[in-house]
Amino acid sequence: MDSTTTFTLLEQARAGNQEALSRAFGMYRRRLAVLVHFKLNPRARRFSEVEDVVQETLLRAFRDFDRFSYESPGSFLRWLSAIADHVIIDRIRYQGRARRDGEQVPFRSASNPMGPEPVDSQTPSRLLAQHEAVERLLEQLSALPDDYRQIILMAKMEDLTTAEIAERLGKTREAVALLLHRAVKRFRALREAASA
Amino acid sequence: MTEDEREQQLAEAFAGLVDQRAHHTTHPELREDLAALAEIDRVVDPAALPERLSGHKILLEVGAGGMGRVLLAVDDALGRKVAIKTLAASYAGDVMLRARFMGEARAMARISHPNIARIYSLGPADEPPHFVMEYIEGAPLTRAAVPLTFEQRAELMRKVVLGVQFLHEQGILHRDLKPANILVGTDLEPKLLDFGLALDTGTTERLSRAGEVVGTPEYLSPEQTLAAGKLDVRCDVFSLGTVLYEVLTGALPFRGDDVNELLRRIREEDPALPRRLDPAIPRDLQNICLKALEKDPAMRYASAREMADDLRLFLAHEPVLAEPGAYTRLISTKVSEHLRDLDSWRHDQIVSAEEHHGIRQRYERLLEREDAWILAARRLTLAQVSLYLGAWVLVVAAALLMVFPYPALQGAPAVMVAWAAVVPVAWIGIRTWRRGHYRVAIAYLLAFCLLTPVAALVTFEEARLFTAFTQGNLKLELFHRVGFAKQFTNAQIWWSLLAGLPVCWWLRRLTRAPVFSLMNAFTAALLCLATLLRLGVLDCLDHDPSRFYRDLLPCAALFMAAGFIFERLKMPDDSRYFYPFGVAFTFAALSGLAGYDEPWANRLKAAFPWTRGQVEYLFIFNATMYFLLDRICDRFQSWQVRMVGKSFRFAIPGHVMMPLFILSFNAETPREAHTLEWILPATACLFVFASIPRQMKNFLVSGLVFLAAGVYHVQQDIYPNRAFWPTGLLAGGLVLMIAASNYALIRATLRKLRRR
Repeated sequence: MDSTTTFTLLEQARAGNQEALSRAFGMYRRRLAVLVHFKLNPRARRFSEVEDVVQETLLRAFRDFDRFSYESPGSFLRWLSAIADHVIIDRIRYQGRARRDGEQVPFRSASNPMGPEPVDSQTPSRLLAQHEAVERLLEQLSALPDDYRQIILMAKMEDLTTAEIAERLGKTREAVALLLHRAVKRFRALREAASA
Repeated sequence: MTEDEREQQLAEAFAGLVDQRAHHTTHPELREDLAALAEIDRVVDPAALPERLSGHKILLEVGAGGMGRVLLAVDDALGRKVAIKTLAASYAGDVMLRARFMGEARAMARISHPNIARIYSLGPADEPPHFVMEYIEGAPLTRAAVPLTFEQRAELMRKVVLGVQFLHEQGILHRDLKPANILVGTDLEPKLLDFGLALDTGTTERLSRAGEVVGTPEYLSPEQTLAAGKLDVRCDVFSLGTVLYEVLTGALPFRGDDVNELLRRIREEDPALPRRLDPAIPRDLQNICLKALEKDPAMRYASAREMADDLRLFLAHEPVLAEPGAYTRLISTKVSEHLRDLDSWRHDQIVSAEEHHGIRQRYERLLEREDAWILAARRLTLAQVSLYLGAWVLVVAAALLMVFPYPALQGAPAVMVAWAAVVPVAWIGIRTWRRGHYRVAIAYLLAFCLLTPVAALVTFEEARLFTAFTQGNLKLELFHRVGFAKQFTNAQIWWSLLAGLPVCWWLRRLTRAPVFSLMNAFTAALLCLATLLRLGVLDCLDHDPSRFYRDLLPCAALFMAAGFIFERLKMPDDSRYFYPFGVAFTFAALSGLAGYDEPWANRLKAAFPWTRGQVEYLFIFNATMYFLLDRICDRFQSWQVRMVGKSFRFAIPGHVMMPLFILSFNAETPREAHTLEWILPATACLFVFASIPRQMKNFLVSGLVFLAAGVYHVQQDIYPNRAFWPTGLLAGGLVLMIAASNYALIRATLRKLRRR
């Protein structure tokens, strides 16, 4: 991911350019969808669920964009990922209740001129469903052992460095490097098996 | 350096590369690993979007497939959203792919249909290859279908199928139909898009490389999985069947762990029945789906139009025409498995010969019923009932026309009216049959089959053909005795029935429907009777009825022989209708002989004077005949002949006990009466126990009934008002019951006693 582009877009968004924010969201929503896919309980992991979580995450991000500060490449996604965690926890907490009444940020429309511009009517589910490569990727990642998948998601989806991963997992950097390399080798083997 | 150290070193180097977010390395051992990781970025990060294409402002990527991406763009001038399909940069240099890509655009551009995405323009030559098309806001078909009712899903599919039909009419095979290529908008209008594999049937050139399997494998048709072979519209029909299956069940009909396994399943295996996955799925929709999923293209819908027609029938709550072979295959494999089991049980003596025979027969009947239009006769609808009512009215009207002389309808007009009914019925019937509307066709053809002899008879009458009287004697003519009717001669009846026979035979060959076998046997039976008429049988009815019944015997033998021959010729569906007629003739002939044949009775009287030539004894004699016939039939392997034997057997108890019962009333001396009164309950008991070896339930039931009658008779005649008779019977019954419930114990005791 070209970090300068993200940075520029986010700076423009801060200056009030909503289209820039929409584009930034557009750039990250697929990563976010993959992350959410694996964050969700496999039983709850339907396309519609992933879609709802991503949509809600982006709406909250839109609402709270003032609170975000750019620190490093990947910090935007980490911020989105943290919001997604909250969204998922809230969804579990409010499960079975009419949970989102009045909470929703309505999109801009004739009756609500101050609402956010819808990025488009495209939903992440469609994005996942229509993108064959993403589907394949999800399959291959699902086939990995949990610790392998987790480290690959951290390194590639959340853009964490091995030192940051080590800190988060409470392991040494050497152990993380070894785990990552093994995970990637297994992942590569899966890809090759699938394409053969 | 140990292996572990080396691995750690490599991992360190790799982690370094990852931390630097490097995408390439010259390290020989890490290059591939890093590339695999970088591939993830390529997948999840949308590549940089061009600013503008064909003058449209690009907003974002909405989809990506094997060949390129679909971008959402805005037409500034019109303010409308459009989708722009681009060819991936890595392919843009490939002449072949580029040609295929632009071919798709050209194919689509010709099409204007509400259920097919429209093409607005082709990208100019100086821009990367792309074309501009209608942007559809909606969800892929399978997802859109989830909250819908089955009727709504059928309606959606019908529109999709009609869209595909329209493509076919334009000479285009889609070849890559799948739910992701069918978007459904909020107005529930599905739209077909992505003609990535569209094959222009007008040009001979195939745009895919030779031998290359193209298409999303899950939705391929069996013939597409084979590189060789010519494709036609029916491969799209199969894909539509797969899509319908997924829309109905939410699952794919064929799945495999790898592509080869998947393709093998598509070619060889029947999918699980949709209703097994979800019993709520309407049976007709399942039938439509399975019919489209037939492996053999010839068994599928011949066109998308036919499939759409069937979906329309379903939506109109009419019976659909699909009769998938999958049921028959399923049931015949299952039944033959069970039959094999059954034979081994018989071999190991787990089941008795009787049980074996009975179960086997039931299975075979099941198979037959499957063949015999069980699907067709599955339910009565208004349309179907009306159809058969119409056919029946037609036949009845023709019968009136035949029998009664109408002054206004004489000569040529009568003939013309008769044939004016036959010819259209035949023509419509055959045409409907050829088109595959079997149920409707059978009704027409049945009417045709019944009307032919009638029309022939009217023609013979008006044309004055075959007018000679039987043996030159007017009194021997059947219709002479029916004064009010037209005066057909026996010869005319005979010839018209003969004319009807080949029609039945031909229809049986054409349709393979057993109902025409029944018609065959029926017409043949009538022909036998007409032959007897021509032999002057009416005269015997006046003077010596027994001769008529004697003449029926050869008819019975004829039908038995015909049934037997057809069965030997491996036509069991034909033979099974001849046997019952043979049995009916036998019963009629033997009963008639017993009832009317005087010489017969005289002979009995001469041989056994004590019988006084009473008819009842002749019926008992007939029972012996039936018993012998049953024994003879039992020697045959064929279950049809065994069925014949069983029907003879069935008649025995009535033929023995009823005469015994009557005889006891007709006795001349008290001694004779008493003997007969004791014989009746004894015989009844005999029949009760005789029910065991052949499992004849009617032996048991009629034995019990006549036992009661005999007991009553004894009470009235032999022991009037003697209390020991009912009390003795009470005690006897009780003892018998207790003995029966301790059967095992008694048997063991008896065995022990015998051993001593």
